[in-house]
Amino acid sequence: MSDIRLQVKDVSKAFGITKALKDVSFNINKGEIHALIGENGSGKSTLTNSLAGIYQKDSGSFILDGKEVNPVNQVEANNEGISIIVQELGTLDGLTVAENIFLGHEDSFVKMGIKNTAAMNRKATELLKKYGFERIKPSDMIENYNFEDRKLIEIVKATYFDPKIVVIDETTTALSREGREELYKHMNRIREEGNTVIFISHDLPEVLKMSDTITVLRDGVYIDTVKSADIDEDGLKKLMVGRDVTGKYYRADYDEKVSDEVVMKVEDVSVPGLISHISFELHKGEILGFGGLSESGMHEIGKACFGASFDREGSVTLSDGTQINDIPTAIEHSIAYTSKDRDNESLVMNQSIRDNICLPSLDDLSNKVHMLSDKKLKEFADLYAKKMSTKMQSVDQFVSNLSGGNKQKVVLARWIGKDSDILLLDSPTRGIDIKVKQDIYQLMDTMRKSGKSIIMISEELMELIGMCDRIIIMKDGKINGELERNKDMDENSLIAKMV
Amino acid sequence: MTKQEFKQIPVVGALGKPSVINMIRSSLPIIGLIAVCIIFNVLTKGSMWNSRKLILNQVYVVLISATGVFFIMSMGGLDFSQGSILGISSIVVCKLSGINMLLAVIGGVVAGALIGAFNGFFYVNRKIKSFIVTICTMFLFRGFIKYMASNSPVAASMKVYDYDTTGIKLGITAVVLIVSFVVFRFTKFGINLKAIGAGEKAVKFAGVRTDRVKFLIYILAGAITGLAAFVNIVKNGSATANVGNQLETQILIALVLGGMPISGGAKVRFENVIVGSLLYIVLNNGLIMMGLTTQMMQLIQGVIFLIFVAVFADRESLSVIK
Repeated sequence: MSDIRLQVKDVSKAFGITKALKDVSFNINKGEIHALIGENGSGKSTLTNSLAGIYQKDSGSFILDGKEVNPVNQVEANNEGISIIVQELGTLDGLTVAENIFLGHEDSFVKMGIKNTAAMNRKATELLKKYGFERIKPSDMIENYNFEDRKLIEIVKATYFDPKIVVIDETTTALSREGREELYKHMNRIREEGNTVIFISHDLPEVLKMSDTITVLRDGVYIDTVKSADIDEDGLKKLMVGRDVTGKYYRADYDEKVSDEVVMKVEDVSVPGLISHISFELHKGEILGFGGLSESGMHEIGKACFGASFDREGSVTLSDGTQINDIPTAIEHSIAYTSKDRDNESLVMNQSIRDNICLPSLDDLSNKVHMLSDKKLKEFADLYAKKMSTKMQSVDQFVSNLSGGNKQKVVLARWIGKDSDILLLDSPTRGIDIKVKQDIYQLMDTMRKSGKSIIMISEELMELIGMCDRIIIMKDGKINGELERNKDMDENSLIAKMV
Repeated sequence: MTKQEFKQIPVVGALGKPSVINMIRSSLPIIGLIAVCIIFNVLTKGSMWNSRKLILNQVYVVLISATGVFFIMSMGGLDFSQGSILGISSIVVCKLSGINMLLAVIGGVVAGALIGAFNGFFYVNRKIKSFIVTICTMFLFRGFIKYMASNSPVAASMKVYDYDTTGIKLGITAVVLIVSFVVFRFTKFGINLKAIGAGEKAVKFAGVRTDRVKFLIYILAGAITGLAAFVNIVKNGSATANVGNQLETQILIALVLGGMPISGGAKVRFENVIVGSLLYIVLNNGLIMMGLTTQMMQLIQGVIFLIFVAVFADRESLSVIK
């Protein structure tokens, strides 16, 4: 009996003229956690989505336990023993938790054309209990749960029927610490049961910690498969990028003094149900970090300072006395905001890169009689998209076609084009590979040195420690501590204040 | 977070699709227009070309008012009240035409704008879906029209016939089209409109006062239809209880025939209005000249309408009609 669970043989897939996968071949074993890594757009998700029936591959084959599989949709893939937890939200509004868990498999609860809701809920209760998520009620509508709980429900949905292969695509970035621990626990359980996990993540320490084997893809081409025990982070980076990653990752300075000049003063800001009585000052040339659990209210800080919160109380004042109460005023006064919910709040998906970059700068780009020329818009978008080295065919391309990292580059290009002085960056590196992360960190460092001020809200403690002059820790909607930049700071000192 | 959970996976968008299909799609309306012209001219043995003036005469009102609805649909809304707006404005134009012709024009435009503002208020401030609001106002103002014009049509002053020249009607239409084209294509307003159609939340976060834009658009569309009412009265001389009846359906059909994506957004093009309105009128007249019965005509129109919707509906964003 061989140990091979899945053979990937010469799989290719193209989107229009872009070749996302080029003759990829490798093997995945039984009872292992097999990580798939590579930069944005290297073809990881394309490969797993083809395996799970979301896309159809153009050529090549997947051989599962000696038998070729060719699922045309997710339900068929499930029946073959393949399930997937996708990168974005994979649950449907308007259905209950139980209905979401058994989506596509309702038949087992249907007798003579009538669905037995009670039986379905009972089964769901059992499962949720088994997974240790008792607080989730199967009969509740799914929209009553937050992003994180919905991800947990997806874990149940994808694994309850003991599939042979579970694909976990970039799920951990959406989860807080406890959520990740839950997920790790279930990954290990699947491995112990002799099944296989294909794990996609940009977080290399996590990959090294969790996986047995690591396969690296670059630009749609298979590079190498290595044992986790035989390689370190730098080795992985080298395989992913194709050369040594040189230069610093985070900023290196520790003793620079931050200016005393206050550019933004936040006083007694509350948003009902999310944050209460928050006050702080942002200085010129400072990177101010906000850390905490994802439900700590820290994500609302960015919105509140941008005038985008509903029902906000308290005041946000700039150095010239301007009160920020709505988004247009914020942008007029050189404030930029990148949302954690990049696809909904930061980008107009079904719109060109050009329009996305130009949108806030249209007033600056129009001539004396308020007219805009296509040429000027194109040049402007081209300039800043290239400055951010966005991977694209042209600025006329739709944003929805770009990979996560490139989408973020478009968002940042927009604000660099607007030349904003205060940047509110919420999870700026969420779901982004190391190369782009490094670019973003360097960009932040350059901005800081040129006197721009940044608020960085992040769930990744290492980047907060590496980049910020000051870190404010949030807990239950309140400020629970503040730490100055310090060489000896470690994650534990932050976690202590978070929980 | 509403609809797009369903398509969590990056979909292959405009550039991903084979470009041949896209090219055929984008040129279908204009090919259709030429084909329909040729077919009907052959079938009617040229009598259609001979009556081109008559046909053109029917284009103006639809074309002008379709321009306003084009703006509304670009940002993903709908408007079913256009027929009633045209009716009310026509009555206002008739009543004022005796005093002063310029006053009549202004009166028509203001009346249209006011009804547009009424729509906009309920749509934007009360947050009711635009098609529900405008269906309500359609009935509401149709009621007013019936009340005012049922016993006898409201007649305009005889002076309006002085303005019934191709030059004036074509001139007004051309000015509306050119100004609208420039606004749509080369101003911040136009770019914002399309962006709202493609994704309102993100546009709001980019600093656009989306509510203000949406409100203004309904006022603008009302005002443009008010101007169309003047052309309508110049043509007809009076307003009956049925004035403007079903104009909204004609406009919608014309825009869809012109290749307008029903949900608006980035793929909207200004040619949609012109090609669509011409196509609709030519098709309509062609069928009449062929001597078809009304029943038969409606049947054929229905089939053609369905085919166009099937080809042009942007299925990726259909759920976002506002």
